[in-house]
Amino acid sequence: MKRFALLLAAFLLAGCAAAPAQPAPAGTEQRVFNDTDVMFSQMMVAHHSQALEMVRLARTKAVREDIRTLAAAIDVTETDELKTMQVWLGAWGQPSAADPSAHAAHGGAHGTSPDDIKALGATSGTEFETKFLNMLIAHQHNAIEIARMETGTGVNPGALDLARRIDESRTAEIQQMLRYLNAPS
Amino acid sequence: MRKAIAAVLMTLATAAAALLVTASPASAHGYISSPPSRQAMCAQGRVANCGAIVYEPQSVEGPKGLTSCSGGNSRFAQLDNPNMGWPATSVGNTVTFNWVFTARHATTNWEYFVGGTRIAVIDGGGRQPDATASHTVNLGGRTGRILVLARWNVADTVNAFYSCVDLQVGGGGGGNPTPTPTQPSPTPSQSPTASPTASQPPAGTTTWASGTAYKVGDRVTYNGVTYQCLQAHTAIPGWEPPNVPALWKRV
Repeated sequence: MKRFALLLAAFLLAGCAAAPAQPAPAGTEQRVFNDTDVMFSQMMVAHHSQALEMVRLARTKAVREDIRTLAAAIDVTETDELKTMQVWLGAWGQPSAADPSAHAAHGGAHGTSPDDIKALGATSGTEFETKFLNMLIAHQHNAIEIARMETGTGVNPGALDLARRIDESRTAEIQQMLRYLNAPS
Repeated sequence: MRKAIAAVLMTLATAAAALLVTASPASAHGYISSPPSRQAMCAQGRVANCGAIVYEPQSVEGPKGLTSCSGGNSRFAQLDNPNMGWPATSVGNTVTFNWVFTARHATTNWEYFVGGTRIAVIDGGGRQPDATASHTVNLGGRTGRILVLARWNVADTVNAFYSCVDLQVGGGGGGNPTPTPTQPSPTPSQSPTASPTASQPPAGTTTWASGTAYKVGDRVTYNGVTYQCLQAHTAIPGWEPPNVPALWKRV
């Protein structure tokens, strides 16, 4: 079984890496994309949806204003990014969600499960804040990993640019959240 | 023919590169976020010159049984260096350690050490942990500055994850952990790309700067263009006004 999984992983990896960039219709460099761009966008659509659920809980449940403000800013920026990626996937003729197991070999499933988000929603006060910050820090670390997969082998200019900004902004968000955790107001 | 061989080699090289890149998430797993571990101090920018750990505080993985803060990783050697100016968090005799998990491995246990002595062990039951973990540990009446080494022992690999936490233990017992009073406020750092334009920003506006807290209605200039804030936030790299229409409107 393990051997099969390895073979499958190797096949998926080789398939992703070796797939040539799709031919670009003249003058539309945004139409140039490969399997990594598709995988990045599909994984990120799912990953963003989970983050949005968490920050929307925090917009009302967090006690501290600085945490609520950060949650609101993440809400609006990730909502925009999510729409952008859905538009790309549509333009590329790709579904906006893929079978999660198809991405397992790429560190897929490193997200936050519905059960975890439900458990978060059942807490309140400072317990909620601590749990929220630790969960979202982990979630954004995972976002950086997915973004680095894209900057490693993606080719679509828009997706590459978004991946670089995700890497930068999530690193800074993690910095802010670690400070909030360790400087109770 | 030569071309064909070159093409094959190229494909293999690309596949190998993809393997390296996609293998990296597997090295990411978890660390203590509060009180801040050494890697958390580095990731939040409270300690400088930390090296690669800044970008992957969750990756301090090494064979089980070590007593080093770096888990034996030479690329994280800074974590073992006592002369990095690690701030010590002020705590009482009882401390709650909070973990960030980026991959939730089945867990044998978490062990906590001071010096060579194991002061606590929390059973993981061989199961996958919850999304977060909080462990309350009694420091056994120790006082003064101490270094706590935490070891997260994974159940189904030979490895563990290492986190070291510098603490200043007060005389009184039983209190909740209190943060050090000397929390530096984030210093606004100038964005490398937001170079001030030659002309003065229009009256009532400032040049956009990472680290600044903006409120709705604030006006900034970025690369000579004026923007108005739509959503309160603290500016960070990656959130430059032209990149985030949800936060900034061009005016």
